[in-house]
Amino acid sequence: MNKTTAIATLFVVVMGVFPFLVDSAWLSIGITFLVFATVAFSQDIILGRAGVFNMGHAIFFGMGAYTTAILNVHFGFEIIATLPFAIILPAIIALLLAGPIIHLRGDYLLVATIGFNIIFEQVLKNDIFGLTGGPNGIFGIDVVRVFGYELFSDKAIYYIAFALLLITLLIIRNLDNSRYGRALYYINKDEIAAKSMGINIPYYKLFAFALGAAIAGAAGSVFAVQYSAVSPESFNFMQSVMFFAIVLVGGSASLPGVIIGTFVMFVLPELFTEFKESRYLIFGAAMVLTMVLRPNGVWPATFGNIPKFLKPKKGVK
Amino acid sequence: MDIFLQQLINGLTIGSLYALVALGYTMVYGVMKLINFAHGDLVAFSAYVGLTIFSQLFGSSATSFVSVIIIFVLTSIIVAFVGVLLERLAYRPLRTAPRLSAVVSALGAALVIQNGIMLIWGPNMLIFPADLLPNTTWNIGGVIITFTQVCILILSAVLMAALYIFINKTKMGTAIRATAIDQDAAKLMGINVNRIIMIIFIIGSILGAIGGLFIGLYYRALIFDMGWLYGLSAFIAAIIGGIGSIPGAMIGGLLLGLFNALIAGYISTEWAETFTFILLIIILIVRPTGILGEKTAEKV
Repeated sequence: MNKTTAIATLFVVVMGVFPFLVDSAWLSIGITFLVFATVAFSQDIILGRAGVFNMGHAIFFGMGAYTTAILNVHFGFEIIATLPFAIILPAIIALLLAGPIIHLRGDYLLVATIGFNIIFEQVLKNDIFGLTGGPNGIFGIDVVRVFGYELFSDKAIYYIAFALLLITLLIIRNLDNSRYGRALYYINKDEIAAKSMGINIPYYKLFAFALGAAIAGAAGSVFAVQYSAVSPESFNFMQSVMFFAIVLVGGSASLPGVIIGTFVMFVLPELFTEFKESRYLIFGAAMVLTMVLRPNGVWPATFGNIPKFLKPKKGVK
Repeated sequence: MDIFLQQLINGLTIGSLYALVALGYTMVYGVMKLINFAHGDLVAFSAYVGLTIFSQLFGSSATSFVSVIIIFVLTSIIVAFVGVLLERLAYRPLRTAPRLSAVVSALGAALVIQNGIMLIWGPNMLIFPADLLPNTTWNIGGVIITFTQVCILILSAVLMAALYIFINKTKMGTAIRATAIDQDAAKLMGINVNRIIMIIFIIGSILGAIGGLFIGLYYRALIFDMGWLYGLSAFIAAIIGGIGSIPGAMIGGLLLGLFNALIAGYISTEWAETFTFILLIIILIVRPTGILGEKTAEKV
């Protein structure tokens, strides 16, 4: 067993027994961590792996949450039955939104996705078709039922979120080892070289976009169930900036990097409620400082890209 | 017809504000290929600074032209200093770093300024004094024009003309244009690139400061996170005109202002932002280089 496997196993075991060691306040922090980590990993598929400058990721997270909320509250679907919609709908919308703009150069793509996020926010706030509940959102989402058995405790939601994170990590591992993952890697490294090798760049980028959106949608569904409510503020442009920053501050395409990023951005504020006021100020300063000191993130991925300070000692892996 | 003319005047006023702010984005993008996300918040900051200078120096009494000029000058100096500081701390160390690192740094800087405003002046709305400029209004055939609007239109036009002449006719302007085309070549020609970038930040910040003060004088309500919206609108204006192009930013600003005013006048105010961003996305799809943008070869 090598070091990475050991750390991964330790992480899974600790997260697995976590609900039995803590009180309910900590448990809900744990759920927050799992949900946001899943979203951050899904953003990492798009931003870190495919290199698509996506600053509207909260759209897909929110779309999943709102799909579950609307289908459950307005149409009486069981939560479990809403899940497929919360996964497929964001993926389809991702393809529709990204399709026309995927060829744009980085910064233009960034601005276009910001635009989509702000339009999404306005759609939610203006209570479109009387479904989204306007600025207050939707309340009273049901509990999860499996074969008529209610999973209402926080522990159950925790394990649902945990299972989702593990599935996400499994998908990412399979992706990295697949033809698609390698294609994305080369596109990200050198788009022109990849193009000249015959890689269909828009196809793979859109694939990553749809996959990331689908996972974010599933996480959104869990988020809606955890709070039994959804509101536009949770999915605004600022939230997208946070996901964008998590991936790049933590280190893109790096599992520990994204975990660290999520912890710092979403878990720390829950722990230190007294610094909630100045939270964004501190994060902003930390974002600048991290980028100045470590432009590739706190813990960048080492696959094929060994940090300079490791090179003389270890050589090429 | 009256509504149309009224919205035309309002649109040109807002458009001038967008243009002033857009110039800051477009100059930085032209030279550094960086979206300066903190620029919008710098604009919001200048409105707050102006308000504070007004209440500290002149109390709440109705004021003369001299005091208005003092407020504009002091605010411009302070904001220019912050702009230069921003470049030194957040952008200069990242000039050779990956593109996205600089974007994150810019976003971080934006968060710092925005939440700095919130911590200093509080999260609630502040109201800009109404009597800073004379409250004269003219009614020309049913179309109402305020003194503030006239000031905004005239001063923006003068500033933009001055900037255009500065960029195109002076030695320093030539150096700025050369740096925008190729930094390394400019360096070889003996141009101090660091100094050029500093000058760009000073000019951009001063124009942004004047834009921010006008926003305060025109809309009167200040809220700490207003920088995002004005900043994004101005940035869209820069893209419409062709980012990197100075006349483009002016034309883009005016067009976006008119577009916004007509949407607000004829269709809906609730969906105004949505229309702005739909316009942006259509422009990005159809002509990503904007109206006056040049077609550049794809950078590798």
